[in-house]
Amino acid sequence: MPGGRFAGLSERLRRAGISPRRVRRLISELEAHFDDLVAEFRLTGLSQAESESQAANRLGTEDVLAESVIARPELRSWTRRWPWLAFAVLPLLSLPVQFVFSMAAAVAIFGFSVHTLGMTPLHPGPVPWICEALQAYALWIAPMVAAAGACYFAARYRASALWPLVGSILIAILGAHTNASFQWSPALPKGAISAGIGFRFPDIGPAIGFRVLLTLVTILAPFLWVRRRESRCSLS
Amino acid sequence: MAQNSSLMSGVPELLVLRLLSAREMYGYQLAVAIRETTREAISLGEGVLYPALHAMENRGFLKTRRRTVSGRTRVYYASTPKGRRRLNELSQEWRRIAGGVEWVLAGI
Repeated sequence: MPGGRFAGLSERLRRAGISPRRVRRLISELEAHFDDLVAEFRLTGLSQAESESQAANRLGTEDVLAESVIARPELRSWTRRWPWLAFAVLPLLSLPVQFVFSMAAAVAIFGFSVHTLGMTPLHPGPVPWICEALQAYALWIAPMVAAAGACYFAARYRASALWPLVGSILIAILGAHTNASFQWSPALPKGAISAGIGFRFPDIGPAIGFRVLLTLVTILAPFLWVRRRESRCSLS
Repeated sequence: MAQNSSLMSGVPELLVLRLLSAREMYGYQLAVAIRETTREAISLGEGVLYPALHAMENRGFLKTRRRTVSGRTRVYYASTPKGRRRLNELSQEWRRIAGGVEWVLAGI
Protein backbone atom coordinates (compact mmCIF):
# COMPACT_ATOMS: atom_id res chain seq x y z
CA MET A 1 0.00 0.00 0.00
CA PRO A 2 2.03 2.93 -1.28
CA GLY A 3 2.36 5.78 1.18
CA GLY A 4 0.85 3.82 4.05
CA ARG A 5 2.45 3.03 7.40
CA PHE A 6 3.46 -0.40 6.13
CA ALA A 7 4.47 0.58 2.57
CA GLY A 8 8.11 -0.36 3.19
CA LEU A 9 7.13 -3.71 4.68
CA SER A 10 4.79 -4.41 1.77
CA GLU A 11 7.55 -3.81 -0.77
CA ARG A 12 10.04 -5.95 1.18
CA LEU A 13 7.64 -8.85 1.36
CA ARG A 14 6.81 -8.68 -2.34
CA ARG A 15 10.50 -8.61 -3.22
CA ALA A 16 10.98 -11.65 -0.97
CA GLY A 17 8.50 -13.62 -3.06
CA ILE A 18 5.35 -13.31 -0.98
CA SER A 19 2.34 -13.11 -3.29
CA PRO A 20 0.74 -9.66 -3.70
CA ARG A 21 -2.57 -11.08 -2.46
CA ARG A 22 -1.07 -12.39 0.76
CA VAL A 23 0.89 -9.17 1.28
CA ARG A 24 -2.32 -7.15 0.88
CA ARG A 25 -4.07 -9.28 3.48
CA LEU A 26 -1.16 -9.17 5.92
CA ILE A 27 -0.86 -5.40 5.60
CA SER A 28 -4.59 -4.91 6.04
CA GLU A 29 -4.53 -7.10 9.18
CA LEU A 30 -1.53 -5.23 10.57
CA GLU A 31 -3.16 -1.86 9.90
CA ALA A 32 -6.35 -2.94 11.67
CA HIS A 33 -4.28 -4.29 14.57
CA PHE A 34 -2.32 -1.06 14.77
CA ASP A 35 -5.52 1.01 14.87
CA ASP A 36 -6.93 -1.24 17.61
CA LEU A 37 -3.75 -0.84 19.66
CA VAL A 38 -3.81 2.95 19.25
CA ALA A 39 -7.44 2.99 20.44
CA GLU A 40 -6.45 0.79 23.41
CA PHE A 41 -3.62 3.12 24.43
CA ARG A 42 -5.80 6.20 23.92
CA LEU A 43 -8.21 4.75 26.50
CA THR A 44 -5.39 4.75 29.04
CA GLY A 45 -5.03 8.53 28.59
CA LEU A 46 -2.02 8.65 26.27
CA SER A 47 -1.89 11.25 23.50
CA GLN A 48 -2.35 10.21 19.86
CA ALA A 49 1.41 10.43 19.18
CA GLU A 50 2.30 8.42 22.30
CA SER A 51 -0.37 5.86 21.51
CA GLU A 52 0.96 5.41 17.99
CA SER A 53 4.49 5.02 19.29
CA GLN A 54 3.39 2.41 21.86
CA ALA A 55 1.31 0.60 19.25
CA ALA A 56 4.27 0.44 16.87
CA ASN A 57 6.42 -1.04 19.68
CA ARG A 58 3.78 -3.60 20.56
CA LEU A 59 3.33 -4.65 16.95
CA GLY A 60 7.05 -5.06 16.24
CA THR A 61 9.57 -3.27 14.03
CA GLU A 62 9.49 -3.54 10.26
CA ASP A 63 12.59 -5.76 10.39
CA VAL A 64 11.00 -8.16 12.88
CA LEU A 65 7.75 -8.30 10.94
CA ALA A 66 9.50 -8.84 7.61
CA GLU A 67 11.76 -11.56 9.00
CA SER A 68 8.84 -13.37 10.64
CA VAL A 69 7.12 -13.67 7.26
CA ILE A 70 10.19 -14.34 5.12
CA ALA A 71 11.33 -17.07 7.54
CA ARG A 72 8.28 -19.12 6.52
CA PRO A 73 8.93 -20.51 3.02
CA GLU A 74 5.39 -21.88 2.85
CA LEU A 75 4.13 -18.28 2.63
CA ARG A 76 6.07 -17.64 -0.57
CA SER A 77 4.15 -17.69 -3.81
CA TRP A 78 4.49 -20.56 -6.27
CA THR A 79 5.86 -18.09 -8.81
CA ARG A 80 8.95 -17.68 -6.62
CA ARG A 81 9.47 -21.44 -6.44
CA TRP A 82 8.89 -22.07 -10.16
CA PRO A 83 9.57 -18.76 -11.97
CA TRP A 84 10.41 -20.58 -15.21
CA LEU A 85 6.92 -22.09 -15.20
CA ALA A 86 5.08 -18.90 -14.26
CA PHE A 87 6.87 -16.41 -16.49
CA ALA A 88 8.07 -18.51 -19.44
CA VAL A 89 6.25 -21.84 -19.91
CA LEU A 90 2.67 -20.80 -19.03
CA PRO A 91 2.75 -17.60 -21.13
CA LEU A 92 4.18 -19.66 -23.99
CA LEU A 93 1.36 -22.19 -23.62
CA SER A 94 -1.16 -19.36 -23.62
CA LEU A 95 -0.29 -18.76 -27.26
CA PRO A 96 -1.92 -21.96 -28.65
CA VAL A 97 -4.74 -21.48 -26.13
CA GLN A 98 -5.41 -18.02 -27.59
CA PHE A 99 -5.42 -19.49 -31.09
CA VAL A 100 -7.98 -22.10 -30.05
CA PHE A 101 -10.15 -19.40 -28.42
CA SER A 102 -9.90 -17.27 -31.57
CA MET A 103 -11.11 -20.21 -33.65
CA ALA A 104 -13.91 -20.95 -31.20
CA ALA A 105 -14.91 -17.28 -31.30
CA ALA A 106 -14.98 -17.31 -35.12
CA VAL A 107 -17.18 -20.42 -35.16
CA ALA A 108 -19.50 -19.01 -32.46
CA ILE A 109 -19.89 -15.66 -34.25
CA PHE A 110 -20.57 -17.42 -37.53
CA GLY A 111 -23.16 -19.71 -35.88
CA PHE A 112 -24.83 -16.77 -34.18
CA SER A 113 -24.90 -14.76 -37.40
CA VAL A 114 -26.43 -17.63 -39.40
CA HIS A 115 -28.92 -18.99 -36.88
CA THR A 116 -29.92 -15.90 -34.92
CA LEU A 117 -29.32 -12.96 -37.26
CA GLY A 118 -30.32 -14.88 -40.38
CA MET A 119 -27.12 -14.09 -42.26
CA THR A 120 -27.00 -15.21 -45.89
CA PRO A 121 -24.09 -15.37 -48.34
CA LEU A 122 -25.46 -12.20 -49.99
CA HIS A 123 -25.77 -10.36 -46.67
CA PRO A 124 -22.93 -11.63 -44.49
CA GLY A 125 -23.05 -8.68 -42.09
CA PRO A 126 -19.89 -8.22 -40.03
CA VAL A 127 -18.70 -11.85 -40.37
CA PRO A 128 -15.98 -11.29 -43.03
CA TRP A 129 -14.70 -8.29 -41.10
CA ILE A 130 -14.67 -10.27 -37.81
CA CYS A 131 -12.76 -13.10 -39.51
CA GLU A 132 -10.09 -10.62 -40.62
CA ALA A 133 -9.91 -9.13 -37.12
CA LEU A 134 -9.51 -12.59 -35.52
CA GLN A 135 -6.80 -13.47 -38.02
CA ALA A 136 -4.96 -10.24 -37.21
CA TYR A 137 -5.38 -11.01 -33.51
CA ALA A 138 -3.92 -14.52 -33.85
CA LEU A 139 -1.00 -13.31 -35.96
CA TRP A 140 -0.05 -10.03 -34.33
CA ILE A 141 -1.80 -9.46 -31.02
CA ALA A 142 -1.79 -12.91 -29.37
CA PRO A 143 2.04 -13.05 -29.03
CA MET A 144 2.01 -9.54 -27.55
CA VAL A 145 -0.73 -10.48 -25.09
CA ALA A 146 1.22 -13.57 -23.99
CA ALA A 147 4.51 -11.67 -23.60
CA ALA A 148 2.79 -8.75 -21.89
CA GLY A 149 1.16 -11.19 -19.44
CA ALA A 150 4.56 -12.69 -18.57
CA CYS A 151 6.09 -9.24 -18.02
CA TYR A 152 3.11 -7.83 -16.13
CA PHE A 153 2.97 -10.70 -13.65
CA ALA A 154 6.75 -10.72 -13.23
CA ALA A 155 6.62 -7.01 -12.36
CA ARG A 156 3.66 -7.53 -10.04
CA TYR A 157 5.41 -10.39 -8.23
CA ARG A 158 8.72 -8.49 -8.18
CA ALA A 159 10.33 -11.46 -9.92
CA SER A 160 13.69 -11.43 -11.68
CA ALA A 161 13.60 -10.19 -15.27
CA LEU A 162 15.32 -13.34 -16.54
CA TRP A 163 12.34 -15.64 -17.05
CA PRO A 164 9.90 -13.11 -18.54
CA LEU A 165 12.74 -12.16 -20.89
CA VAL A 166 13.27 -15.78 -21.93
CA GLY A 167 9.50 -16.34 -22.16
CA SER A 168 8.96 -13.22 -24.30
CA ILE A 169 11.73 -14.19 -26.72
CA LEU A 170 10.30 -17.70 -27.12
CA ILE A 171 6.79 -16.29 -27.54
CA ALA A 172 7.99 -13.77 -30.13
CA ILE A 173 9.75 -16.50 -32.13
CA LEU A 174 6.87 -18.98 -31.91
CA GLY A 175 4.31 -16.25 -32.64
CA ALA A 176 6.24 -15.04 -35.68
CA HIS A 177 6.34 -18.55 -37.15
CA THR A 178 2.61 -18.99 -36.76
CA ASN A 179 0.39 -18.80 -39.78
CA ALA A 180 -3.29 -18.32 -38.91
CA SER A 181 -6.15 -18.10 -41.34
CA PHE A 182 -9.81 -17.29 -40.66
CA GLN A 183 -11.85 -17.15 -43.85
CA TRP A 184 -15.47 -16.70 -44.67
CA SER A 185 -16.68 -17.79 -48.07
CA PRO A 186 -20.08 -17.11 -49.61
CA ALA A 187 -20.82 -20.78 -50.29
CA LEU A 188 -24.51 -21.66 -50.62
CA PRO A 189 -26.84 -21.99 -48.86
CA LYS A 190 -25.61 -20.24 -45.67
CA GLY A 191 -22.00 -19.35 -46.28
CA ALA A 192 -19.03 -21.20 -44.79
CA ILE A 193 -16.20 -20.44 -42.44
CA SER A 194 -12.78 -22.06 -42.34
CA ALA A 195 -10.03 -21.58 -39.81
CA GLY A 196 -6.54 -22.98 -39.70
CA ILE A 197 -3.35 -22.60 -37.72
CA GLY A 198 0.04 -23.72 -38.91
CA PHE A 199 3.72 -23.25 -38.09
CA ARG A 200 6.44 -22.52 -40.59
CA PHE A 201 9.52 -23.60 -38.73
CA PRO A 202 12.34 -22.87 -39.17
CA ASP A 203 11.67 -19.95 -41.46
CA ILE A 204 14.00 -17.01 -41.38
CA GLY A 205 13.17 -13.93 -43.39
CA PRO A 206 12.51 -10.22 -43.06
CA ALA A 207 8.79 -10.73 -42.39
CA ILE A 208 9.50 -13.18 -39.56
CA GLY A 209 12.23 -10.94 -38.17
CA PHE A 210 9.87 -7.97 -38.24
CA ARG A 211 7.21 -9.88 -36.30
CA VAL A 212 9.73 -11.07 -33.71
CA LEU A 213 11.10 -7.56 -33.27
CA LEU A 214 7.66 -5.99 -33.09
CA THR A 215 6.63 -8.22 -30.18
CA LEU A 216 9.94 -7.82 -28.37
CA VAL A 217 10.20 -4.05 -28.77
CA THR A 218 6.54 -3.40 -27.94
CA ILE A 219 6.56 -5.48 -24.78
CA LEU A 220 10.12 -5.76 -23.51
CA ALA A 221 11.20 -2.15 -23.98
CA PRO A 222 8.59 -0.71 -21.55
CA PHE A 223 9.06 -3.69 -19.19
CA LEU A 224 12.83 -3.25 -18.96
CA TRP A 225 12.46 0.52 -18.65
CA VAL A 226 10.03 0.14 -15.73
CA ARG A 227 12.31 -2.43 -14.07
CA ARG A 228 15.30 -0.15 -14.38
CA ARG A 229 13.39 2.79 -12.94
CA GLU A 230 12.14 0.62 -10.04
CA SER A 231 15.63 -0.62 -9.21
CA ARG A 232 16.91 2.97 -9.25
CA CYS A 233 14.09 4.05 -6.93
CA SER A 234 14.79 1.19 -4.50
CA LEU A 235 18.50 2.08 -4.42
CA SER A 236 17.90 5.77 -3.77
CA MET B 1 9.89 -10.17 29.26
CA ALA B 2 12.72 -11.64 27.21
CA GLN B 3 11.87 -14.98 25.65
CA ASN B 4 14.16 -17.89 24.99
CA SER B 5 13.33 -18.61 21.35
CA SER B 6 14.27 -22.29 21.36
CA LEU B 7 12.34 -22.87 24.59
CA MET B 8 9.39 -20.98 23.13
CA SER B 9 9.39 -22.93 19.87
CA GLY B 10 5.90 -24.27 19.20
CA VAL B 11 4.35 -22.30 22.08
CA PRO B 12 2.64 -19.67 19.90
CA GLU B 13 1.07 -22.43 17.81
CA LEU B 14 -0.16 -24.19 20.95
CA LEU B 15 -1.61 -20.98 22.42
CA VAL B 16 -3.28 -19.95 19.18
CA LEU B 17 -4.84 -23.37 18.61
CA ARG B 18 -6.04 -23.55 22.22
CA LEU B 19 -7.61 -20.10 22.18
CA LEU B 20 -9.19 -20.56 18.77
CA SER B 21 -10.62 -23.94 19.75
CA ALA B 22 -12.94 -22.04 22.12
CA ARG B 23 -14.17 -19.38 19.70
CA GLU B 24 -13.27 -17.62 16.49
CA MET B 25 -11.24 -14.42 16.82
CA TYR B 26 -9.45 -11.86 14.69
CA GLY B 27 -5.79 -11.05 15.19
CA TYR B 28 -6.09 -8.26 17.73
CA GLN B 29 -8.60 -10.21 19.84
CA LEU B 30 -6.23 -13.16 19.78
CA ALA B 31 -3.28 -11.02 20.89
CA VAL B 32 -5.33 -9.60 23.76
CA ALA B 33 -6.47 -13.10 24.72
CA ILE B 34 -2.86 -14.32 24.80
CA ARG B 35 -1.84 -11.37 26.96
CA GLU B 36 -4.73 -11.88 29.37
CA THR B 37 -4.76 -15.66 29.65
CA THR B 38 -0.99 -15.87 30.17
CA ARG B 39 -1.09 -12.85 32.52
CA GLU B 40 1.46 -11.26 30.20
CA ALA B 41 3.97 -14.00 31.02
CA ILE B 42 4.27 -14.57 27.30
CA SER B 43 4.85 -11.45 25.26
CA LEU B 44 4.91 -11.94 21.54
CA GLY B 45 5.59 -9.18 19.04
CA GLU B 46 1.93 -9.00 18.15
CA GLY B 47 2.57 -8.50 14.44
CA VAL B 48 4.44 -11.80 14.41
CA LEU B 49 1.13 -13.55 15.08
CA TYR B 50 -0.04 -13.00 11.51
CA PRO B 51 2.58 -15.01 9.63
CA ALA B 52 2.01 -17.79 12.18
CA LEU B 53 -1.75 -17.61 11.58
CA HIS B 54 -1.29 -17.63 7.80
CA ALA B 55 1.07 -20.61 8.02
CA MET B 56 -1.38 -22.53 10.22
CA GLU B 57 -4.16 -21.73 7.77
CA ASN B 58 -1.96 -23.04 4.94
CA ARG B 59 -1.45 -26.28 6.82
CA GLY B 60 -5.20 -26.66 7.33
CA PHE B 61 -5.18 -26.09 11.10
CA LEU B 62 -7.20 -22.88 10.83
CA LYS B 63 -9.95 -21.57 8.61
CA THR B 64 -10.83 -17.94 8.03
CA ARG B 65 -13.82 -15.86 7.16
CA ARG B 66 -14.15 -12.14 6.56
CA ARG B 67 -16.66 -10.10 8.48
CA THR B 68 -17.25 -6.37 8.31
CA VAL B 69 -17.54 -4.91 11.80
CA SER B 70 -18.03 -1.15 12.29
CA GLY B 71 -17.00 -0.48 8.70
CA ARG B 72 -13.76 -2.44 9.00
CA THR B 73 -13.22 -5.83 7.39
CA ARG B 74 -11.88 -8.33 9.91
CA VAL B 75 -10.39 -11.72 9.17
CA TYR B 76 -11.72 -14.14 11.76
CA TYR B 77 -9.75 -17.30 12.45
CA ALA B 78 -11.23 -20.53 13.77
CA SER B 79 -9.84 -23.97 14.48
CA THR B 80 -10.52 -26.86 12.08
CA PRO B 81 -10.84 -30.57 13.02
CA LYS B 82 -7.23 -30.99 11.83
CA GLY B 83 -6.26 -28.06 14.05
CA ARG B 84 -7.95 -29.68 17.05
CA ARG B 85 -6.01 -32.89 16.45
CA ARG B 86 -2.82 -30.84 16.22
CA LEU B 87 -3.77 -29.12 19.48
CA ASN B 88 -4.11 -32.51 21.21
CA GLU B 89 -0.67 -33.55 19.99
CA LEU B 90 0.96 -30.29 21.04
CA SER B 91 -0.79 -30.32 24.44
CA GLN B 92 0.41 -33.83 25.20
CA GLU B 93 3.93 -32.92 24.14
CA TRP B 94 3.87 -29.76 26.25
CA ARG B 95 2.57 -31.60 29.35
CA ARG B 96 5.25 -34.26 28.92
CA ILE B 97 8.01 -31.63 28.75
CA ALA B 98 6.53 -29.47 31.53
CA GLY B 99 6.14 -32.59 33.73
CA GLY B 100 9.76 -33.51 33.14
CA VAL B 101 10.94 -30.01 34.05
CA GLU B 102 8.74 -30.06 37.15
CA TRP B 103 10.34 -33.32 38.28
CA VAL B 104 13.80 -31.81 37.83
CA LEU B 105 12.88 -28.65 39.73
CA ALA B 106 11.26 -30.62 42.54
CA GLY B 107 14.37 -32.74 42.93
CA ILE B 108 16.73 -29.80 43.53
